Amino acid sequence: MGWSLPVIESMQKLNKPFVVVSFPIFESYAKENGIPFVSYQFDEWSDSSNSLDLHEKLKAFDVDVAVPLFEETVEWAGALNSIYRDDPKVLNRAFLFRNKAMMKRKALIGGLRVGLFEEVHSKEGVKNFMKRLNEANLQIEGEEDSWVHIKPFASAGTVGHRLLRSMNDVDEKCEDGDFPCLAESHLPGTEFSCEAFVHGGKIRFLNITEYVKLGYSNFIPEGHYLHTKRDKIMKEMQKLVDIFGIEYGMIHPEWFLTANDELSFGEVACRIPGGHILELAGKAYDFDALGAFVLCHDPNLSEEELNEILPKFDVRPKEFYGNVMIYPQKNVINKLEIPDELREEPYFLDHNLIPPLTNQKIDSREGFGNHFGTVNFKGEDPDRMTELLLHYENVDFYH
Amino acid sequence: MPNQTITDNKEQNLQEVFHDFSLASKFTKFDKAGKLLGQADLLMESKEGLTLLYQYIKDFTDAGIFEGTAWADPSKLVPRLVSGTLKSGHPNSTIELLSELRILAIAEKHFQSKSFSQNEAENFIQEVIVSNLEFVFNEPLEETRLVMSQHELNKVHAVFRFLSEKIKLDAIKEKLAQELTLICAQRPVVTEGPRKIIALIKEKIELDPNRPEDWSLLKFQRCIYRPTENTADKNAAEYGAFLPQLSTNELKNEASQMGKSMAEFGLVSQYHAVLLLFLIKNEKFALVPPCLALDPAGEARWKMHREFVTDLILQTIHPYNAQCIFGLAKMLEKGILSRDAVRSGLYNLSTVKIHPEVEKRILKSTKTPHESVSPKQYLMGALFRVLGQPLGLGQGNNPTCQSARGISMWSQHAPAKLINMVQTAATVDDLSFRFEGQEIKASETGKGLVQNLDHNLDAVSVTLVPLLDRIYNEMMLRASGRGEDPHKWVNPALYGQWVQIGFASAYDYPSNAIVDFEGFTKIFYAMCHPLYNGGHRLIYPNPVGIFITSAKGEMLGFHAVSLHRVDKDPKGIFRVYFVNPNNEGRQDWGQGIKPSVFGNGENYGESSLPFEEFAGRIYAFHYNNLEAPEKMETVPNEEVLKVKKIAKESWGRAYTWLEIKKKW
Repeated sequence: MGWSLPVIESMQKLNKPFVVVSFPIFESYAKENGIPFVSYQFDEWSDSSNSLDLHEKLKAFDVDVAVPLFEETVEWAGALNSIYRDDPKVLNRAFLFRNKAMMKRKALIGGLRVGLFEEVHSKEGVKNFMKRLNEANLQIEGEEDSWVHIKPFASAGTVGHRLLRSMNDVDEKCEDGDFPCLAESHLPGTEFSCEAFVHGGKIRFLNITEYVKLGYSNFIPEGHYLHTKRDKIMKEMQKLVDIFGIEYGMIHPEWFLTANDELSFGEVACRIPGGHILELAGKAYDFDALGAFVLCHDPNLSEEELNEILPKFDVRPKEFYGNVMIYPQKNVINKLEIPDELREEPYFLDHNLIPPLTNQKIDSREGFGNHFGTVNFKGEDPDRMTELLLHYENVDFYH
Repeated sequence: MPNQTITDNKEQNLQEVFHDFSLASKFTKFDKAGKLLGQADLLMESKEGLTLLYQYIKDFTDAGIFEGTAWADPSKLVPRLVSGTLKSGHPNSTIELLSELRILAIAEKHFQSKSFSQNEAENFIQEVIVSNLEFVFNEPLEETRLVMSQHELNKVHAVFRFLSEKIKLDAIKEKLAQELTLICAQRPVVTEGPRKIIALIKEKIELDPNRPEDWSLLKFQRCIYRPTENTADKNAAEYGAFLPQLSTNELKNEASQMGKSMAEFGLVSQYHAVLLLFLIKNEKFALVPPCLALDPAGEARWKMHREFVTDLILQTIHPYNAQCIFGLAKMLEKGILSRDAVRSGLYNLSTVKIHPEVEKRILKSTKTPHESVSPKQYLMGALFRVLGQPLGLGQGNNPTCQSARGISMWSQHAPAKLINMVQTAATVDDLSFRFEGQEIKASETGKGLVQNLDHNLDAVSVTLVPLLDRIYNEMMLRASGRGEDPHKWVNPALYGQWVQIGFASAYDYPSNAIVDFEGFTKIFYAMCHPLYNGGHRLIYPNPVGIFITSAKGEMLGFHAVSLHRVDKDPKGIFRVYFVNPNNEGRQDWGQGIKPSVFGNGENYGESSLPFEEFAGRIYAFHYNNLEAPEKMETVPNEEVLKVKKIAKESWGRAYTWLEIKKKW
C-alpha cells in the first residue's frame, strides 16, 4: 500500500504475486508498465471509500496480506489485515503507531522507560508543561528552561517536530496549526534506531542504525560502543514487540542510550523508515531489505523462505555504510560544488545531489527542510565514518 | 603506493554503483543512473579516472546508460550541439562526455554500433574537437567562464585532452592553422596556448614540406622547433656547441634568420636564447639588432643603451626563459628603455630579494620551472613581455579583468610606476594605494574577487593580481552606497589620474533602471567618435564597462575592457579598437556581434567592432565633462536609435528602461 518503484522492482525479482494500492495519479504509469494496480484515494474516508470497500476491490487479486509502505497507509493496512486475520486488534495496534501519545502510554504501561509527555492543545498548554517540567527539575531563578519537544500525533519522521529551549521559543516557534499535539521532555543520550524484522511474534533479524545527527546522517551497522550493548538492546526490543503485540512485519523504533547505560524509548513506526535506512542496511548486510520488509508481513511465509531472505541473525558486517543528507545553507543558491576533499576521500561512495536552478530560492524549512540529495560513504572504521558524517553535515555544497 | 590504493578504491566504488545500476529494472534505472553519473562526474577530472571510465564505457552502454535519453542513438547526435550541452552542467554535461567516450571507443574499434560506423565515429570526434578548441586547450571564452564552474571546466578539459590524444587530427589541419594565426595575431604575453597546440600538432600530425596545405602549420612548428636551418636535428646544447664554428658572416645570416622567425608570430625558441647569449658573450654586438629583428628605431636605442641592455640580457635570458626576448625587442623599439625612471626601476628590481610567498606563486605559474632559472629571472622575463606587449596581457581563468586592465594600462603609460609596483609586491608581498586621501593596504583588506587564483598567468600578474584584486575590492566597498556606480571614483584612484573626471553610466542606481540611454549614447559619441568629437584622437585608454552577452544575446554579466582608439578600418567603416583582458579577444556576443582580432585594421592584441555595435554593449565610461556635453547635440538621432535598438534587444531585456532626460 503506497507507491514505491524500488519495492515493485523487489517484488518482481522475488517473483511474488502482488498488487499495488495507491493514488489514482500512478494508474497510467502502472498500466503502461504492466504493474497490477488498484487505485484508491487514501485521504478520503466515507461510505464509499473505506476498508470494506477496498477489501472488495482487492478480492479479484486474491489478496491475503496488506503491507503499509508509508505512514499514511498504516491504518488502511491494519484494517485490511484485521479482516484477513480475523482479529480486530490488528487494527487497534495500527492506531498505536499513528498516535504518539497512545504509543507512549502503551510503552509506559508495559515497563519501558519514556520521557514525561502530555497531549497539549495550545501554546499555553506547552508553557504549563514546560513550567511543570522546570519544577520537577528543580529550576532556580535564572537557570535555563527544560527543553521540550513537540510533534504531531501522526506524522512521519521529523515532519512538524520542534525543539523548544525556552518559554520564548514557545511563542516564536509554535504555530496555531501545530495543535493539538504531543509535548515531551527532552531525552538525553545517544540516539539510534532499530529495524526489527518480526515473524510469529519473534524478532528474526535486528538491524541497529546509529544516528550521527538526527535528520542528517546515520550509518549501519552500529559502531563499536553501541555494538557492545547489542544484547541489552535486543532484550528491550523483544519487550517492545511483546508489549505492542506485534506478530508480523517490521518495526522501526527510536531509542536513546544514556551515559549510565539506560535505554529510553522515543517512538516507533511500522513503515519503511526514512533516511534511506533500508538501502544502507541492504548494502551492509547484502540482502534485499525492501523485499524482506514486505515478506515479513506474510503470516504464511515458510521458515525456509524467511531464512533465505533475511541475513543470519548474529552476523556482523565488515564494512559500514553511512549517508548524510545535504541541505543548502544559503537562502539563494546558484551552483553545486563538490569539494575536492570529498572527491579524494577513500570512504566516499556516491552522491545524488542535484544542481540547483539559477538563483534558486530556498523555502523555509518543514521538519528539517527539503534535502537536495544524499552523499553515501562506505568504509571499515565506524569512528572515521562518524567523523566524516559530522564533517560533511556542515560542508556547504550549494553556493 | 597510496595512489594505487585510491585508484583501486575508486574502481571498487564505481563497480559497486555500476553493479546496482545494471541489476536495476526499468523502475529504478533512472535513480541508479543518477548515482552512476555522479560517480562519473567526479572521475572525469583525472586521467586515471577517465581511463577507468573508458574501460567501462562499453559495459555502461550495454547496461543501458544512454537508453531512454537523447543520447540513445549516436547517429542522431550533432557535433555542433555538444558545446551548448557541456555548458549546461551536470548531469547533462556528464552524460554528454560519456557519450563522447562511447563514440571514441567505437572509433577505436573497442566495440561496434549498429547505427554508427567506425568511420562516422572518427569524423564525429574530429568535428567535436574542432568546434570546441576552447576546451581542448583550456582557454575558455568569457561566456564559458561565466557559466561554467571550475570543476565543470576541469572535467570537460580533461575529457577533450583525452579525446585529442587518442584520435587522429589530420582532418583538422586547416582549422588548427587558422586558430594559431588568430591566437598569435593577439601576441599574447602567455604563450602556453599556441605552444600547446603546436606541440600537439608535432606529436599527432605528420606534416609534409612538399605539400602547400601543410605549410601553414609547418611555419608555426618551425618557429619553435627549427627556427633556422642550422638548428635542424640539433637540441639547444648541440646548437650551442655548433655556433663557434660559424664565421661572422654565417653568424650574421644565422642572427637574421632567427630574428625573422621570431618576428613572424611573436614566438621564441630555445635556440634563440642560445644564439643571443653567444653573440653577447663574444661581443658580436652588431649582430644583436638582426637577432632581435629590431626596426631602425629599436636599433638606435640598442646602440644608445647597449651596456645596460647587455646586462639585462645576461641576467635574465636563458634557454628556459626565452620568450621574453620578444618582449625585450618590443621594449627597445618603443623606446621604453630610454626613460631614466624605467632603467632605474629595472636596475633596482634586479637587485632585490623576492618574498618566499611570491616566489611560490611565480614557480606555480611557470609550467615547467627549470632549476637554473631563478624566480627573479622569470619575473624579470615576464616584465619584459608585459612592457613589450602590453596589449597581450590576459586575466587567465580569473574574474580579475580590472587588475589585468590596470597592468596593461600602466605598462603603456606609466611603465616606471608598474616596475616599482612589481618591485614592492615582489619584495614584501603587499601593496599600498591612495584612495580619497586614505591609505589602502592589500594586507589589511578582506578578500578580493578571486579566492583561488588560476596560475595560468605571467609572473608579473601572479605577483600583482592577488594584491590589486583586494585593493580594488576594498575601494569598491568604500565607494559603494553613494547612489552611483562606485567605478566613478575607483577607476581614477586605481588606474591613475589621467582617467577623466566625467563618468557616464547607463544604469541609474536610485531608480534601478536604464535612464536616458539616448543621452548616454550621445555623450559616448561626443567623447570618442571623430565625426562628433571635433576629429580628435583618444589620448589615454578609457576604462569602459561592458555587458557580456551570450551567443544568443542574453545578459550574462559585466566585464572591464579598455577603449584605445576609434578609426576607419580598411573598408572605411568606423570601428572601436579596444583591449579585452580576457585571454581570447574573439568572442560571440549575439546579434552577429563578434569582436575580431585580425584583418580589420587591428594592432596586435587589439579587438575591434563597428562603432555602433560596441556602443550597444557599453554601460559605463569616463569622459571630459567640460568638453563633451556641448558636442553631444551634434550626434544624429538615427545613429543613437540604431545603438538603442541593439541594446534593448539584448542585455536591455534584463532591465527596466526610463525615458526621462538626464543632465550630462
